[in-house]
Amino acid sequence: MKRPAALTTAFLSVCTLLLTACSGSDTGTNANNTPSSTTSENTTKTTSGAIPIGVAFAQTSNVALLGQEGAAGAKIAEKYFNDKGGVNGTPIKLIFQDTSGDEAGAINAFQTLINKDKVVGIIGPTLSQQAFSTGPVAERAKVPVVAASNTAAGIPELGDYISRVSAPAFKVAPNSVKAALKQNPQIKKVAFFYAQNDAFNKSETEIFQKTVKEQGLEIVTVQKFQTTDTDFQSQATNAINLKPDLAIVSGLAADGGNLVRQLRELGYKGLIIGGNGLNSSNVLSVCKALCDGVIIAQAYSPEHSNEINKFFRQAYLDQYKKEPPQFTAQAFTAVQVYVEALKALDNKSKVNKLQLPQLRTELNKQILAGKYDTPLGEISFTPIGEVVQKDFYVAQIKTDKDGNNGKFTFIK
Amino acid sequence: MDITLVLQQLLNGLSIGSVYAIFALGYTLVYSILGIINLAHGAIFTLGAYFTYALMGGNFGFSGLLANAVLPVKLPFAISLILSSILAGLVGIIMERIAFKPLRRKGSDPLLTVVSSLGVAVVIVNLIQYLVGAESYTFPADTFGNLPAAINFGTVEKPIPIRSVQLVIFAVSLVIVLMMSYFINSTKYGKAMQAIAEDQVTASLLGINTDKFIIITFFISSLLAGLAGSLVASSVSIAGPYFGIGFGLRGLAVIVLGGLGSIPGAVLGGLVIGVIEALVPSEYSGYKDGVAFGILFIMLLVRPQGLLGKKFIQKV
Repeated sequence: MKRPAALTTAFLSVCTLLLTACSGSDTGTNANNTPSSTTSENTTKTTSGAIPIGVAFAQTSNVALLGQEGAAGAKIAEKYFNDKGGVNGTPIKLIFQDTSGDEAGAINAFQTLINKDKVVGIIGPTLSQQAFSTGPVAERAKVPVVAASNTAAGIPELGDYISRVSAPAFKVAPNSVKAALKQNPQIKKVAFFYAQNDAFNKSETEIFQKTVKEQGLEIVTVQKFQTTDTDFQSQATNAINLKPDLAIVSGLAADGGNLVRQLRELGYKGLIIGGNGLNSSNVLSVCKALCDGVIIAQAYSPEHSNEINKFFRQAYLDQYKKEPPQFTAQAFTAVQVYVEALKALDNKSKVNKLQLPQLRTELNKQILAGKYDTPLGEISFTPIGEVVQKDFYVAQIKTDKDGNNGKFTFIK
Repeated sequence: MDITLVLQQLLNGLSIGSVYAIFALGYTLVYSILGIINLAHGAIFTLGAYFTYALMGGNFGFSGLLANAVLPVKLPFAISLILSSILAGLVGIIMERIAFKPLRRKGSDPLLTVVSSLGVAVVIVNLIQYLVGAESYTFPADTFGNLPAAINFGTVEKPIPIRSVQLVIFAVSLVIVLMMSYFINSTKYGKAMQAIAEDQVTASLLGINTDKFIIITFFISSLLAGLAGSLVASSVSIAGPYFGIGFGLRGLAVIVLGGLGSIPGAVLGGLVIGVIEALVPSEYSGYKDGVAFGILFIMLLVRPQGLLGKKFIQKV
């Protein structure tokens, strides 16, 4: 039974391709399903009578580290708003679909929510990289999308039905650079690291680089990596040899955490700024005590003192025993926007009398027209769907000595 | 290119390569004895890492059936490593009994065994996700005790820092490879396994209990996979239940490069691919997989038996 090695290996290569197809991403139905736009729908409700809102977050793959935080916020919001009567007496029902970590999974989730679950609108997806693929899908189907964690440039411009409550990187990111300069006014040389296979990170690093140049600092190197990388020896040493005073990392939680850890292990002693992709306590489980001191700009502060944030913060503290993170607050806000817009629309014309396509379009208009008092503060939307938000903050990671406990401490 | 950078990448590559070598050793062992490629090797690799994490007293996160689970023990890294590798070996035996033995009994095509192993891989990985969720886990910071985070192989002006964990991995891998070579070549068990590899039927006619040795083979192979997984996880954390899939694919490239069924070949192949990957410039890090498989294809065209494999002689 001695087959020629070449034949066996050719067969193995096929198996390899099968394995890659099976790994990580969702069910793999990547077909270009044309959404059935005009299904004759007399009711917008699920069989239980509730109004269905879709939530497309990453619940599997590395990106689940960010998606889980969003899901937590959405669930708290669902309970809160239903306890208060939902939409003028009708409860909402959040329908979760997993986008996994890539574009194909996100498109799949959106198609299912739009066509099978017949939702009135969608919250998500988790990554800007995914949003550039799902935006056109929702736009063609005329389904409103309120993104809760996409901060790359160009997201609201994807269509009339696309809006976001997650403030764009160009508003949020520069604050962390200013905070770093406050902590160390001697900063002269800056090293950049960014994930080149992710749209959000590419966008964010450009903003950081622009801010750094405006502050008169010198960019000594720009190192690239992939969000799927685990070994950063060469990027880290390339940068360390140029003796930077500040390192700015634009990646996601797992890769960003590993990069921070390896930078510190290889002897880098300067300040580190993390981008929005590292803005998750899941990064703590990767770099542990070595995460200490990382500065990350925030679009949300648990201390913001309006009524709804007080409730939201307490609900999160009761359940998870720690302060709510930004992604959770933004997901809560996205649900709030839907509920309040649905209420406003219902006051004008009963939502349960509207056909689904009409409801989706009217809801979208109403979302963009509204003003909302949310945990993020008072927000509203520009005509193209960009969020208008006033307050931004900066936090710094503080861990205990063995790195098992860490939190984001807000700095002035 | 700066000589210190090249040296650094070389050392880094040897360290990564030595993990590939252990991983590929297990792969090639099963192939040489049974003629099958065990695609579940990558899943056992992942399992080993999770076992070590649990044995070191790690907490599991809030998703999954076993939310917030933590074992009441907190063993040091070395002991956890050994225990988890043994556990991985036992899982390998269970896998063999359930997924491979029935097919072997029926004399099925090895192709079916490969497909079966793929099924096992998917089951294991999804079971892990179901039980403990998809979060990242890192081993405790004092995994290697008081060892400094990095050791400087250069001078103060031109430092060549290498992370200590990479050095530990390289040292452990070297020891394992030497032990395996000794076992295969110089012990009675090893010679029995070589005999089975050459011809299963004749070996059993000569009184070697093939079934027992197949179990031993799977045990050792899975032990090596679990060991490799724990070592990698100590360096770059467990990124989630799928972090072993990439290794599974890389392992295929390694064993073909080294020569299917050749143990020193697996080691050499691992080191070669590790070094070549490390020398890929950092901005093309996304193409590392492409490099490994590119080498594989060139090897197949130029020398299909691999670097150290035996040339196949067509017997008439």
